[in-house]
Amino acid sequence: MSGRQARLRVDWPACRAHGLCHEVLPEVVSLDEWGYPVLDAQPLPDALLADARTAARACPRLALRVVEG
Amino acid sequence: MTRLPLRPLDPAARTHDLRVEPGPRLLSADAGRRHAVPTLDLATLVAWAEDAGLRGRGGAGFPFAVKLATAGRGRRPVVVVNAAEGEPASAKDAVLLARDPHLVLDGAEVAARALGAREVHVVLPGDRPATAAVAAAAVAARTGPRWRTSTAAPRFVSGQSTAVVQLLSGRPGLPVTAWAPDAVSGLRGRPTLLSNAETWAQLAVLARSGPEAYRALGTPDEPGTTLLSVVGAEGTTVVEAEHGTPFPQVLGAGEAPTEGVEAPLLLGGFHGTWLAPDQVARARVSRVDGTPLGAGVVLVQRPGRCPLALTAGIVEHLAGQSARRCGPCVHGLPALADAVVGMLHGREGARQRAEALAGLLPGRGACAHPDGTARLVRSLLLALPREIEAHERGGCSAAAPAVSPGRPSLRGVAS
Repeated sequence: MSGRQARLRVDWPACRAHGLCHEVLPEVVSLDEWGYPVLDAQPLPDALLADARTAARACPRLALRVVEG
Repeated sequence: MTRLPLRPLDPAARTHDLRVEPGPRLLSADAGRRHAVPTLDLATLVAWAEDAGLRGRGGAGFPFAVKLATAGRGRRPVVVVNAAEGEPASAKDAVLLARDPHLVLDGAEVAARALGAREVHVVLPGDRPATAAVAAAAVAARTGPRWRTSTAAPRFVSGQSTAVVQLLSGRPGLPVTAWAPDAVSGLRGRPTLLSNAETWAQLAVLARSGPEAYRALGTPDEPGTTLLSVVGAEGTTVVEAEHGTPFPQVLGAGEAPTEGVEAPLLLGGFHGTWLAPDQVARARVSRVDGTPLGAGVVLVQRPGRCPLALTAGIVEHLAGQSARRCGPCVHGLPALADAVVGMLHGREGARQRAEALAGLLPGRGACAHPDGTARLVRSLLLALPREIEAHERGGCSAAAPAVSPGRPSLRGVAS
């Protein structure tokens, strides 16, 4: 997992603003006034990678993914 | 949000207002004649496209050689001609398709041969039935690969590439999240080389003449020509301009009066960028340098009309064109439209609200619709601050205020 940059990506048509991503990963995910995620544009720091995967698994709509590159 | 009655801004629906100036390559006197389709291998075609600096003419301006090479790397690819012009102010692809359909199809066939693709899909504009009929007849006359036609719904987002691939897959033609580029995995998971009509015509010109002749026009950094839809007070003129041509010259060649240079100009169409008069004077026709050309729309506002009123009308229109799939677009675009209408009325805090919303929208949808709408509003804030301040004081620079008491309107663009 090292070397390549990991980021969070949202499947926007699938997202229904449940907001669990923000609960799990507030360092990277904030919410707009309608409850939809606003992601930090920076690549995920290694220290947050595990939490990011947890956030992706926690999404009830499976609308969040950790992608490389 | 109240929906405003809008005059159709589709120039192809008002063909009596549509003029075409013959260009050096496209839409010339030679247009419509059929030529033999050259056969080039993939490596040669990639090298030529790179040498010619060929970029997509649909909006994003992506280097064609990169896309072509990517599509050639996996399973047997599929080629798609995207002739569904979503931008309502654009007429150039429809004109090209109606006057010289085989040039467009030749380009697609050159690529199909080089890639070993067996299928070429042509996506026709649903809102331009006459153009679609001409193109469909041309497709029916073709041999070689298997040609298929589909018709896109008349909607702004129908021309977005993921929406087109959905349509071809038998699903509603609405944007979806692309986890990989179409050129890697598109239609039925196959590499899919999707480009707009003008891009294919440019490829046909390149394949016929070779890169050296192609580079004879344009600039060393950006060779060749591009089609523009110049929308002015008298209607729309489709012109072919060499890359690097100063904008005042383009406007002089069309029907636009010299006042075009003294009035702000909306470059790229509804998803475009406002340029202040001094920026217009310096701007050149380019997709690599300066203000993005987008789909090649140059919207010259009638002198004495209010650019803020026009923008408010456009943003309301665009909010209504959302596919209503992605939350930030569903909620954000109507809120943004409300803020821009607020700016028009000089409502306190409306400008800050518009700024904040425009900053939040980009990159948060399955397609570029929210990004393009945000770009339009950000450019208004940047290019025309004095107009906005005038409205905050209850004024308006327009000699004839758009519609009192400030109903936003698209009038004054093409009426």
